[in-house]
Amino acid sequence: MRILRNRLASTVALGTALLLVACGTSTGTTVPTQTGPLSIGVIAPFTGPAAEFGTLLTAPCLVATDMINAAGGIMGHQANCVSVDDTGDQADAVPNVTRAIATTSNFDMAIGLESNTAATTVPLVNDAKIPFFTTNGLSSFNTNSLAYYYRMTPGDDANGAAFAVWAVKQGYKNVAIVFQNNIGSEGNLPGLTAAMPKLGGTISLNLTIPADAASYSAEAARVIAAKPDALIWSGDPQTTATFLANYKSLNNGVLPAMVTATDSLTPDFFSAVKKSVGVQYLTDQMWLVGSYFDQTTPAFNTYKAALLANSKTHDIAGGLSNVGPPAGAYDGINIMALAMIIAGTTVGSYYNQHILDVVAPKAGATVVGNFADGAAALKAGKTIQYVGVLGAAKFDKSHNSGGQFAADKFGADGSATQVGVIDGAQVLQLLG
Amino acid sequence: MQLLIEAIGFGIAAGAVIALGAVGFSVQFGMSNILNITYGSLMTLGAYVGLFLIDRGISPWAALAIAGVVVAVFSVGFHRWLLAPLVRRGTRAFAIVIVTVSAGVVLQYVIVIFAGPEAKSYGEQSAQTFHLGYLLMTASQVTIVLITTVLMLALHLLLTRTTIGRAMRATASNRILAQSCGINTDRISDIAWFLSGTLCGAAGVALAITTVSFDFSLGAVFLIPMIAAAVLGGIGQPYGAMLGALVVGTASELAAAYSNPAYREVVAFAILIIMLLVRPRGLFGTAWATRRLMT
Repeated sequence: MRILRNRLASTVALGTALLLVACGTSTGTTVPTQTGPLSIGVIAPFTGPAAEFGTLLTAPCLVATDMINAAGGIMGHQANCVSVDDTGDQADAVPNVTRAIATTSNFDMAIGLESNTAATTVPLVNDAKIPFFTTNGLSSFNTNSLAYYYRMTPGDDANGAAFAVWAVKQGYKNVAIVFQNNIGSEGNLPGLTAAMPKLGGTISLNLTIPADAASYSAEAARVIAAKPDALIWSGDPQTTATFLANYKSLNNGVLPAMVTATDSLTPDFFSAVKKSVGVQYLTDQMWLVGSYFDQTTPAFNTYKAALLANSKTHDIAGGLSNVGPPAGAYDGINIMALAMIIAGTTVGSYYNQHILDVVAPKAGATVVGNFADGAAALKAGKTIQYVGVLGAAKFDKSHNSGGQFAADKFGADGSATQVGVIDGAQVLQLLG
Repeated sequence: MQLLIEAIGFGIAAGAVIALGAVGFSVQFGMSNILNITYGSLMTLGAYVGLFLIDRGISPWAALAIAGVVVAVFSVGFHRWLLAPLVRRGTRAFAIVIVTVSAGVVLQYVIVIFAGPEAKSYGEQSAQTFHLGYLLMTASQVTIVLITTVLMLALHLLLTRTTIGRAMRATASNRILAQSCGINTDRISDIAWFLSGTLCGAAGVALAITTVSFDFSLGAVFLIPMIAAAVLGGIGQPYGAMLGALVVGTASELAAAYSNPAYREVVAFAILIIMLLVRPRGLFGTAWATRRLMT
C-alpha cells in the first residue's frame, strides 16, 4: 500500500514537473540545458568509393571547432566533430545515421548529408530535431518544408545551367556531356540540357557512364566522333583519369577542353588526372564551375588561414578553400553555434528558431564573419549579422540560399584560382 | 560501321584482360573445386606489386611478369596453408567461399595500409595507336592482346603436350584415380595454383595498365565480369573461359558503343543469363563440370 502511495506521489510530482516545463517553454522563460561537450555530426561517406567526401567535409568542421573551442566554446561547451559514415549508399546510411543519432551524446548539429544519401538521411536528422547544413544539391530539396534543413549552396540543376553559361562564354558552343551515373552528377543534367539551347549552344552527345570501368574506349570513340568543342563532365577521380587516358590514346594525344564541377577541386582528382594525362591539361584546359564567393573578405581569409594552420587540413587547403559546399558547412557550424548563444541553449529544437536571426540583415547590427567575433558581440549585448565565407546568406522559405557562380582553374600544385564569375540571376532565368 | 568495328576491337582488348584472369580462375576451380573470391584481391596485389616495380624504373611488361610470379607464390601459400587444410577437415564448400571472401577483404585492407586509399597510376600511356581498316587499338591494348595470346597458347601447350599438363588434367578429372596412378596430386595442385596465380598477377597488372588509374578495389570490381566469363565458358574449362572472356568483353563494349554506356555491364550479364538458360553447362561445360560445381 505504501509502495502504491509512493508511486502515486511520484507520478503526481512528475506530471507537475512536466506541466511546469511545458508552461516554461510556451512562455520562453525555461530552456533545457546540456552538460559536456557538443557533438557536430559530419554525415558523409568515410568508406567506399566516395570516401574522399568524408575527409573534405571533416576539414571545415575541424577548423570551425578549433576556432570555437579557442574562443571558449559555445557557452562553455567544447565542440567536437563526430564522423558518421553514410558510406555513400542509402542502404548503409539509414542504420548508421540512426545509430549515431541514438548513441551520440549532445548530437546538436550536423553537416554533410550529401547528394548520394540525402534522400534518406535528411528526413532522419530532421525528425531528430537536429539542425543541419546540408551539402546535397538535389533539386528535390529546392522546395521543402523541413524545419531543421539549411542549404548554403545552389541545387545541382542550377549548377548544370552554370556549366552551360560558362562553356558558351568560353566559346564552346557544341558540347558533349559525359556524366557518371550517380545521383550527384546526374542532378546537373536537367539544368544543363535546359540552358544550353537557350544560350544558342548545341549538345552533340549526352552519355551516362558507369564508374570505375576497366576501359572507356567505346565511350571515348563516341565522343571523338561527335567532334565537340568541349566536354561537360562529371566523374570521380578514377573514372575521369581512365576516360581521359583512353580519349587521349584514341585521339592522337589530343584532349578536349573540359568544364566540370568545383567538387573536383580535390587532391585525389588532381593527382589521378595528373598521373594519367599530365598536369598541363589540368592547368590549361579544365574549368571548374561552382558557387561563387568573394575570396578577399576577412571571413574567407580567416577560413583559409585556419585550414592552413591545422595540420590535418593544411595539405588540402589550397583547393578546398575554393569549394562552396565545405565553406557552407563551415559557415553553417558558426551560424548554428551563434544561434545557440542567442537561444541560450544548445538544444536543437530551441536554437533552430534563431538560425535565421543570425544571418538576417538588421539595422545597427554588428556584421561578423567568424564565431569568436559573433560570440563577443553577443556577449556585449549587440545584435549581429553573420556574413561568412559564402557571403550574406539569404534563405528562402525552404531554407535554401544560393547565389552567384564562379569558375576556377587548377594551379600546377593542385591549388585553385578563381578566374570568372557567372551571374546567378542569369542561371536562374535559364532554369525557368 | 566504323563504330561497330572499333567496338569489336575494344571488346577484344577488354576480353584479353578478362581472359587472363578468367582462365586462371577456371584452372584453379577445375583443379580444386574451390570458388576462390580472394582471386580479385590477389589481382589487386598484382597491380600494386607492378606499381612498386614501375616506380623503381622497371618496364610495365617486366613488372607484369614479376608481379605474376609474386602473386603465384602468394597463391600457392594461400591454397596450401589456408584452403587445403579447410578442405581436409571437411569444411563445407559454402564456408570455404566465405573464408575466401573474408581473406579477400583482409588482403584489400592490408594493401590500403601499405599503399593508401587514393588512386594510383602507372603513368601516362603512349598515344600511339594501331589501325587496321576501322579496327583501332592503342599500343597498350595491342601489347596486352599479344601477351594474352602467348600465355593462352603456352597454357594450351602445357596442358596438352607435357607430362605435368596431363597430370593436371588427370587430377582435375579424378583426384583419387590420379593418386592411384602414382601422380603426386598435392604437388600438381601447387603447380596449378602457381599457374593460376601467375595469370592472376599478370591480369592485375594488365588491368591496371588498361584502367590507367586504379585503387585497392580494382580486382574486386573486375571479379564479377571475370567470373561471368568463366561461368559462361563452363567453369573449370580454360578454353571456355577464353571464349567467355571474349564474349563478355565484346558484349560490354558493343553495349557502350550502341546503347547507354551506364548499362554496359548489364548487357554482358543479360547475355550470361540467357546463355546459361539455353546451355546450363556453359559454352564448353561438361556434365562433369556441372557436377563438380554443385558438390
